[in-house]
Amino acid sequence: MVDATRLSRRVPSGVSAVSSDDRYATYLGESRRSACSSELLGIRGPMHPFALIVSEPIKIDIWSDIACPWCYIGKRNLEGGISSLGDDAPEVEITYHSFELAPDTPVDFEGSEVDFLAKHKGLPAERVHEMLDHVTGVAANAGLDYHFDTLQHTKTLKAHELLHFAKEQGRQLELAERLFRAYFTEGRHVGRIDELVELASEIGLDTGAAREALESGRFAPAVQADIAQAQAYGINGVPFFVIDGKYGVSGAQPREVFARALTQVADEKAA
Amino acid sequence: MSDGAATVATDAPAPNPFAMIDGDASAMVCEGDVCFIPGAGE
Repeated sequence: MVDATRLSRRVPSGVSAVSSDDRYATYLGESRRSACSSELLGIRGPMHPFALIVSEPIKIDIWSDIACPWCYIGKRNLEGGISSLGDDAPEVEITYHSFELAPDTPVDFEGSEVDFLAKHKGLPAERVHEMLDHVTGVAANAGLDYHFDTLQHTKTLKAHELLHFAKEQGRQLELAERLFRAYFTEGRHVGRIDELVELASEIGLDTGAAREALESGRFAPAVQADIAQAQAYGINGVPFFVIDGKYGVSGAQPREVFARALTQVADEKAA
Repeated sequence: MSDGAATVATDAPAPNPFAMIDGDASAMVCEGDVCFIPGAGE
C-alpha cells in the first residue's frame, strides 16, 4: 500500500509542492501559497497533487528584527538547510514575527553603526570594528554581502508594520528578504515611510495601500502582539525559530541544524 | 487601582514552552543592542 503521507514529502526535484495554479491557490489560501519551500528555493513548476491533499506544511514561526544581522544569516541558513534536503525537503509555511530589538533607537540616527554601538556598549571604536568585521565574514560565508559602512541605523517599528501588511497581502517572505538586503547590503533607510513604500513597491505591493497601512499605524497592534507573544514564550534574543509549534531553535544556527530539525519534525508528522 | 495592593515581580523569565533543539552552542543571537558578541549578551 502506498503511504500517501510519505509521498507528500517527496516532491520531485524541480516540481513545486504548491502550484501557482489558481485553483489550488484558492484551496490553500494566499498566505500558504506564498510561504512554501518552493518559493524559498526558487522552484517553479506543476503542482504535485498528493502534496496538497494529504499533507500539512511544517509551520516555522520566526521572531526577528530587520536590524539584526544574525537574523538575516539565520534566515539564509534556514533556507540552506531546507535546500540541502533536496527531494526530501518538507513543505514549510514560514511566518515572520516582530521583535524590536532597540525600541529607543531614533528613526534618524546621526552617526555610523560604529558610533551607535560604541555609544550603547561603551566599547572602543576599534573593538566595534573588529566585531563588525567578524559578522561581515560570517555573513559572507552564508552568501550575504554586508556593508556596515553604509548601513543606516534606524528604528524598525515601521518596517515591522510593513511586514504585517505584506503578510496580509501574502508577500511577507519577499518583503523580509527585501528589507534585510536593503538594510545590510544596500544602505537603504528602512525607518522612513517613503523608503519603505518604495521597497514595498519593488516586490509588487500596492504603494497606496502600503502607505496607508504605515501612516495609519493599523498594524502597530499586530507588532506589539508579536512582541508580547515573544515575552510570553520567554524569547529574549533573536532570531528564534519555532518549528511546528513544538520545537525551539535559538540563534543563527548552521544549516545542518535546521535540516536535521526539519527532518525530525517531518518524520514525526509522517509516523 | 489600590495603592496598597501587593505587587508581584513580573520580570522573571517566562517558561519556554518549546522543546529546544540543540545546535551550535555558539550560534549568535541579538539581545537588545547587543548583536555582535558571542554568548548572548556579552
